[in-house]
Amino acid sequence: MENKNWKAENSEKVLIKGNYAIAQAAINAGCEAYFGYPITPQTEIGEYLSAKMQELGRGYVCAESELAAINMVMGAVSTGAKAMTSSSSCAVALMQEALSYASANELPVVLVNVMRAGPGLGYIYPAQGDYNQAVTGGGNGDYKIIVLAPSTVQECIDYTYRAFYLAQKYRNPVIMLADGLLGQMMEPATFGNYPYPEVDTSQWALTGAKDRTSRAIYSCAPDEKKQIQRIYDLFKKFDVITENETSYEEFETEDADIILTAFGSMTRNIKAAMKVLREKGLKVGCFRPITLNPFPTKKIAELAQNVKNFIVVEMNMGQMFKDVKCAVNGLTKIDLINRPCGEWLSVEEIVSSVEKILEKNYAASV
Amino acid sequence: MQQVFSIPKSIKENMRYTFCPGCDHGIAIRLVAELLDEMGLQEKTISATSIGCSVFLYDFLDIDCVEAPHGRALASATGIKRVRPDKFVFTYQGDGDLASIGLAETMHTAFRGERVSAIMINNTTYGMTGGQHGPTTMMGQITTTSPTGRNREYYGYPVKMAEQLALCDGTAFSARVALDSIPHINEAKKAIKKAFQVQLDGTGFGFVEILSTCPTNWHMTPEQAHEHVRTKMVETFPLGVFKDITK
Amino acid sequence: MEKNFILAGFGGQGILLAGTILANAFMLDGKNVTWYPCYGAEMRGGTVNCEIVVSDSEVSSVHKQDTDYALVLNQQSFDKFVNRVKSGGTIIANSTLVAKTEPRDDIKYVFAPMGDIANSLGTSKVTNSAALGVLASVCGIVSKDAIESALEKVLGEKKKELIPLNIKALEEGYNNLLQVS
Repeated sequence: MENKNWKAENSEKVLIKGNYAIAQAAINAGCEAYFGYPITPQTEIGEYLSAKMQELGRGYVCAESELAAINMVMGAVSTGAKAMTSSSSCAVALMQEALSYASANELPVVLVNVMRAGPGLGYIYPAQGDYNQAVTGGGNGDYKIIVLAPSTVQECIDYTYRAFYLAQKYRNPVIMLADGLLGQMMEPATFGNYPYPEVDTSQWALTGAKDRTSRAIYSCAPDEKKQIQRIYDLFKKFDVITENETSYEEFETEDADIILTAFGSMTRNIKAAMKVLREKGLKVGCFRPITLNPFPTKKIAELAQNVKNFIVVEMNMGQMFKDVKCAVNGLTKIDLINRPCGEWLSVEEIVSSVEKILEKNYAASV
Repeated sequence: MQQVFSIPKSIKENMRYTFCPGCDHGIAIRLVAELLDEMGLQEKTISATSIGCSVFLYDFLDIDCVEAPHGRALASATGIKRVRPDKFVFTYQGDGDLASIGLAETMHTAFRGERVSAIMINNTTYGMTGGQHGPTTMMGQITTTSPTGRNREYYGYPVKMAEQLALCDGTAFSARVALDSIPHINEAKKAIKKAFQVQLDGTGFGFVEILSTCPTNWHMTPEQAHEHVRTKMVETFPLGVFKDITK
Repeated sequence: MEKNFILAGFGGQGILLAGTILANAFMLDGKNVTWYPCYGAEMRGGTVNCEIVVSDSEVSSVHKQDTDYALVLNQQSFDKFVNRVKSGGTIIANSTLVAKTEPRDDIKYVFAPMGDIANSLGTSKVTNSAALGVLASVCGIVSKDAIESALEKVLGEKKKELIPLNIKALEEGYNNLLQVS
């Protein structure tokens, strides 16, 4: 494989929009082609890359649909190239078929979803309603996708790098699940250099059957035994991913009675709410899954043994809530603070909702 | 003793032939294989495969292939070509795949003038699922989902891909051929060669529609099926070159 | 220290750009900062606002219920955001387009003729820079120099010729006789 040593443009601190940060990080990561279709609030990714990819002589197609875009990515990555698409919610729905194929065919597809509000067309309000779509997916069959959820513009950069690396390392599709807030906001960030080694794809990538036997990448399985074995193998691989790559952050959980849990950019708000609640004398900690898949089930179960109450805070109707509940598995109380979409739950709202929950759960003692 | 006929090098050794007796897929795939040999393309070919009877391309051709979902082969082919422009990229699709579910991908590949080649097998029906009405089903044709024959009221008209694609600015070559006779097979090979050559020359999108038999679903013998292509199909789908910008 | 700002006006008044310059100024001052836009559906003429949060430590939340400072360039924005200012906070209004009313008595009001300042320099297009000048002098947590550097950085090479006029507007806004009540 060609080993191109891509350099980051610079590592000075820049004030940059999440969408542009993702796009530039893809370039730094060595993304050889971008395929996409416009949809708010992620269109700036395609706009930025349309100019940059042409300047750099790399691939860019303004695809005729999201269906086409992700299938273009599948073709491109089958050659060992790094390639990506980006989209939003209702349009990511169109890509579910391809994600099932890419998982079955072990193709390192990278997809960025900058979430908007659904269901249906919804609108461009920020929301976190695609947790289920990303984590459990809408494609057919048993398959698993790695899902990374950034909470800051800096993490948009860091996790874009990581998405490209993990996709090739495990030959598995990776979704970076951002939201409209992250896509549209600006924050100081640094790019640095792509921090991962280049993955050797020479054992499987399609390069033309020269000096070797031909390779066919397909999921069609008229042989039942082979099909069964394939699924076992895919899940065995995901066990390894779970073991190696599950990642999360915790804040002040050591002495916590209550743990607030959120993903993505809501993490900020629960951390701020934690500070306010601590000032009020409540022992509150925060837990934030970074990989939504693999989900840090084990760690939550461990924390649940010493905590009185988990409280999940999210901008949907409780999608991550059920995974946390599953992990808590009856060991402790669990509650939900949520809004379906729109204005992010403010620190004040979270604080007052937590107080109400505690009053309800521990009327006598708190 | 001189060997005058052999299995092309681009056909897999020990391949198991799975098409129905009298089906033209075998001839079409052989023509592709001969051209990959003759044009020295086997080692630089990457194909995006399709869904339907054409799905088994990777069982026959000794080339690198990646499976695309139904209809999306030309999108995947585009992706391959855009990152590996030095490779030879083609698709081999049925009429349902290319002209129905994948019509948008097909047309836009042609509009963009993507440097890839596409071959469409037109047998006027969905073969693998048992002979349903499809985009190229002819007027009056009886299928399992047009039990009284294709009529205008319920089904509208058949799609004529070779003519449609000839209208696209990005198409360099578009032709329709048949495999019902030796002269037609020779013509078909010439057309496929041209559709491959325009890609290699960077001229644009190359397309060949191949009229093909489906004796099983047409409920005909192989001979009757070829007679049907010769006399009936060509009335709806006339043979010829509809665009060749190299001329 | 954590303070937040809402900047609002008509689409086309350069509100998002002014916000970008302010956020860059905070970054150059070594602060943590976030900038978050809110557009109307219209490309021109609708109301546009952006929210900036600056903090010595990590920014707690990008979008807040109320604000320490509101900088409003038109009447609609004044009416909309006067109630989002924290008790004890400040609303800074472009008196060229905003009537001098004081609907609440628990906040500070600053009226400055930002549009007139810009027009006196020959173009209403630098109203946003004049507004930044006023804001800098009122809030005192960002220096005029930092805003100037940010302005140069944001306009950059491509719009280099616009920099001197914008800096002039910034200075005039900063030095404008303030009518504070």
